[in-house]
Amino acid sequence: MKTPAVIKLVTAGAKDRKQFVAGSAVALIAAAFLLMLPGFAGHATISLFSRIFILAVFGMSYDILRGFTGVINLGHAVFFGSGTYLAGILFLRLDPTPGTLLLAVIVTVVYCSAAAFIMGKIAFRGGGVIACAMITLALGEIVRHLAETWRDVTMGADGLTFPIPYMFRDRLLFYYYALLFLILMVIVLRRFVLSPTGRVLLAIRENEQRAIFLGYNTTTYKMISLQVGGISAGLSGVMFALLTRFANTELLTIQQTLNALLVTIVGGTGTLYGAIVGTAFVQLIQHYLLTLRDVHPVFTRWLLFFGSIYILVVLYMPAGIVGAYRQLADLLSSRNKKKIA
Amino acid sequence: MDVFVMLLVNGLAEGALIFLMAAGLSVILGLMGIVNFSHGTMFLWGGYVSVWMYTKTGSFSLSLLLAMVVGFLMGLIFERFFIRPVYGKVTAQILITLGLMIVFTELVRVLWGPTPLAAVRPPHLAGTWVMGSIIISKYRVFLIVIGIVVALGIHALITRTRIGMIIRAGVQSPEMVQALGIDIRRYFSLVFAGGAALAAVGGALYVPLVGSVWSGMGISNQVLAFIVVVIGGMGSFIGSAVGSIFLGLTGALVAWYFPPAAGVVSVLLMALVLAFRPTGLFGLAVKS
Repeated sequence: MKTPAVIKLVTAGAKDRKQFVAGSAVALIAAAFLLMLPGFAGHATISLFSRIFILAVFGMSYDILRGFTGVINLGHAVFFGSGTYLAGILFLRLDPTPGTLLLAVIVTVVYCSAAAFIMGKIAFRGGGVIACAMITLALGEIVRHLAETWRDVTMGADGLTFPIPYMFRDRLLFYYYALLFLILMVIVLRRFVLSPTGRVLLAIRENEQRAIFLGYNTTTYKMISLQVGGISAGLSGVMFALLTRFANTELLTIQQTLNALLVTIVGGTGTLYGAIVGTAFVQLIQHYLLTLRDVHPVFTRWLLFFGSIYILVVLYMPAGIVGAYRQLADLLSSRNKKKIA
Repeated sequence: MDVFVMLLVNGLAEGALIFLMAAGLSVILGLMGIVNFSHGTMFLWGGYVSVWMYTKTGSFSLSLLLAMVVGFLMGLIFERFFIRPVYGKVTAQILITLGLMIVFTELVRVLWGPTPLAAVRPPHLAGTWVMGSIIISKYRVFLIVIGIVVALGIHALITRTRIGMIIRAGVQSPEMVQALGIDIRRYFSLVFAGGAALAAVGGALYVPLVGSVWSGMGISNQVLAFIVVVIGGMGSFIGSAVGSIFLGLTGALVAWYFPPAAGVVSVLLMALVLAFRPTGLFGLAVKS
């Protein structure tokens, strides 16, 4: 049974507080575990977790668009891949120093902001989710194509190997940088989605027509959402450059975008944390599947399994893992209330 | 003059191929309000099964037929089991067709390996005609002829037959068609599978032109088809025909005179059209 809206509104405070306490407890336990993890885990695990932290930010940046604004951007890899490429090219052309990293961050932010502006101007013009998805897919493919043909700078399909600043070379230390990056981005993005602007984005997702009638210029808000999503994705791309020290055009493909889409769907869209859960889930299973490649070569094609999981999730569990958890929690709490009554 | 003829033939042949994909995409969008992101996957499968068949039997027409059948069956299965549960949910449709794209592209890599396979033109279509200084590839002329035949065929189907009448009525108002006692869902399946079969044939015809088949070709051609649909106006059949020719010709021109821009010209065209006519050249309102 659905709770009437008024009751929801009245009980929202108490429920929020309860959720907040539960959420903080989970976050604290998770943070403690992650801080101590390097103490007992091997190098491979540490690298895997650094990867999860960085890709989780990419997933969250996608969730800002998909989950909070209802925009399906199929060219999102442009931001991520460009971040990696820009950092790599700068490290290669200039010195791999912390100063260059700062420069790379600034250049990435400016670049992603400009790219988001152009992308939004074109994609939000046709109107509708469908047109936006088709146009962003086309734009993304074009950027990939450019990166592949502009061999002087990007090295084309061979990929770009580059040095990184000395202070980021230690895997253990980098683990903590990546964790810090994730925590900072969670704080920033959480503030953004809870801000008045974030609320308008939710309104657009729920019913764009109504948001327009309320007097909001929805296109402007979608542009803001794309800016935030794009820049966060670009920054995670820079971090990814520090992790892998390598960039190739794979990072710009639709597959890279779909990976972000996959983790947000599996984890739960419109939850922000869903992207983290989803990324961890997908990366850990992928890691496990790859260890099975000696059993049968089909396990190297892990996307086959993920694509199938993804389809099943869209069909049968549209709220994802976090969504399902929340539903379960709601169900349990309402049962408890019934018992008390 | 000779350059002009060559570019015309190249551009029209390219346009005919894009059209085979865009036509299905556009009619599906117009009738069902669905963008099929797995359309490129049908194209891909068409390419692979035709190469497989050609190396097994050496018959080009048989390989085209197999591509068509496989595309049609995939379309039927996709529509029945994956699209039908999410009718009316635009976002879920996009997501589910993307998921199908991932799985079936990956399946191609499992079945035929991740490296490109070579594809050859059948002997009677290989080679060129030489007229003075003009050299024309036979295969490209063949593509143009196929494109024209298919376009006229679909046009006749839509304007002259009872099925076409129901489809046109369905584009305007599916509820009304349903109320008149016609099971519109059967026509949805038919159109979806038909569009898939066209895309698969497009893939089968594309492969001999470029000489190889690889797992990334579905998505890159799907992008072109999307651009055509956006340029032509979403859901407009005429628009997709005109858009395909337009894109094919400009592509050929730019590739000849200014190769570095070949990759971006399609998107620039799309951006220009959207800037001045957001609904596309032959704009139809998209059902949402």
